[in-house]
Amino acid sequence: MISAFKVLNEQINSFYLMIRLSMYELKIKNNNNYLGMLWEVINPAIQVAVYWMVFGMGIRQGRSVGTAGHEVPFLQWLVSGIIVWFFISPAILNGSKAIYTRIKIIAKMNFPLSVIPSYVIFSIFYPNVMLLALIAVIFQFTDHGKISLYYLQLPYYMLAAIALVFSLSLITSTLSTIVRDVQMFVQSIMRMLFYVTPILWVPDPKKLPEFINLILKGNPFSYIVEGYRDAMLSRAWFFEHWEHTLYFWGFVLVLFIIGSALHVKLRNRFVDYL
Amino acid sequence: MSNQTVIVRDVTKKYKMYKKPAEKLLDIILPKGYGEDFYAIQNISFEANQGDVIGIVGVNGSGKSTLSNLISGIIPPTSGTIELNGEVSLIAIASGLNNELTGRENIELKCLMLGFSKQDIKRLEPEIIEFAEIGKFIDQPVKKYSSGMKSRLGFAISVTVNPDILVIDEALSVGDQTFADKCLDKMNEFKEQGKTIFFISHSMGQVKKFCEKILWLEYGEVRAYGPMKEILPKYQEFLKEYKAMSKEEKKRFKQQVQLKQSGQNKPGDKLQTSSAK
Repeated sequence: MISAFKVLNEQINSFYLMIRLSMYELKIKNNNNYLGMLWEVINPAIQVAVYWMVFGMGIRQGRSVGTAGHEVPFLQWLVSGIIVWFFISPAILNGSKAIYTRIKIIAKMNFPLSVIPSYVIFSIFYPNVMLLALIAVIFQFTDHGKISLYYLQLPYYMLAAIALVFSLSLITSTLSTIVRDVQMFVQSIMRMLFYVTPILWVPDPKKLPEFINLILKGNPFSYIVEGYRDAMLSRAWFFEHWEHTLYFWGFVLVLFIIGSALHVKLRNRFVDYL
Repeated sequence: MSNQTVIVRDVTKKYKMYKKPAEKLLDIILPKGYGEDFYAIQNISFEANQGDVIGIVGVNGSGKSTLSNLISGIIPPTSGTIELNGEVSLIAIASGLNNELTGRENIELKCLMLGFSKQDIKRLEPEIIEFAEIGKFIDQPVKKYSSGMKSRLGFAISVTVNPDILVIDEALSVGDQTFADKCLDKMNEFKEQGKTIFFISHSMGQVKKFCEKILWLEYGEVRAYGPMKEILPKYQEFLKEYKAMSKEEKKRFKQQVQLKQSGQNKPGDKLQTSSAK
């Protein structure tokens, strides 16, 4: 518990540092490409196009999603959910290797090491927000995803996504510094989670076995993906399903406590593990 | 008197050597640890005062860089304590500049990591640029720099942040004579201000010119520590001896060293160098 407060304290005290470092991180990443930041739009666009073809046109034969009266075309349903995945997935992968790839350039021991995963995560978060804004604008020209009060929940779900990704990265970045195989493990898990989260396919609770429904509900990423949809497609407020909200934050809290305990216990020895 | 800036007490740095990755895992899991020990630094104790310029000398692998990393707090000691009164700044050849960013951006990044505030950085930036003397290149990515430029920028950052304790790890060997002289001037200025400087160099000329005290490391232990005039001749004598050793003798010497660094020999035993003559 003490370490959890310590990590939280470091995050707050080093906020300016974190923001500046994340800006540089972003710059380093896009410096060598001529199109620079444009790739943050091109890449997702290509992916969405492929998924829309295969899942929307191919498997679903162009059927829309939702119950009668509240139907949403598959494309909008897909985009409003997958958008946050374009943040979550690279954030977790890069967050996991954040410490062992960067500890060498961190020159001093009194640098708050728990800031490393968070600035890496933030550097992935900015382009995602821009992408989100772009999509929200495009949505205004279609029949679905019109701006409404529900959009106000987006900051809340962004916060939820960052909290979850950061807590998880605290654990994985610590473990992968000690045992590099963890990085491989995280990679496969993320690939699996992409399908265990309702991003590409629409789960029908009535047709699925009970335990699969449970896994889908228990997966904290579902909460965020569905939350983004609730906000962008004006479906629901986050307090309307408060049990799920409570479960999600409980889950994040447990991850965060475990993560900070691990991180604080082992961080003095990170350099020795290189 | 509280003019002691660095107090090193019984510091040991132990590394583990593994034959395969699985042993590393065993070492983490088993409570007693697993793997062969390697003592890079063994039971080192010394003190440094304000205004001391200490040259750290020793042959390759004697733990000079490990010691400099320990003093500057990059790696934690396995046992023992290092007490520091003041801010430390380490200058090494690979001074942690990012190749993709420009010199100017690197200055901000490095200062941020050293814990400076926004205002401080704004104040320091022109000073650093002036000291580094790399002209238009300051707005070019560091990957386009020559190695001399890199070390100049690194050096400029490290001295301008005004540390109380300075550790210089062979950083002057890359720059040209004029820049080296400029750095020596700057360090003489620091000396007068009462800062403590650790100077690691293989160039006996620079050490002789600049240092007042010598810390002679031999395979992880302090062989001698004292005024430059006393210790340096002894070290140079040793180097001559070492060079003159026959292959057989060198081999024997190395074996002794290995035994010592694996922690099987009691620390404090002197290596038999002169008897091998």
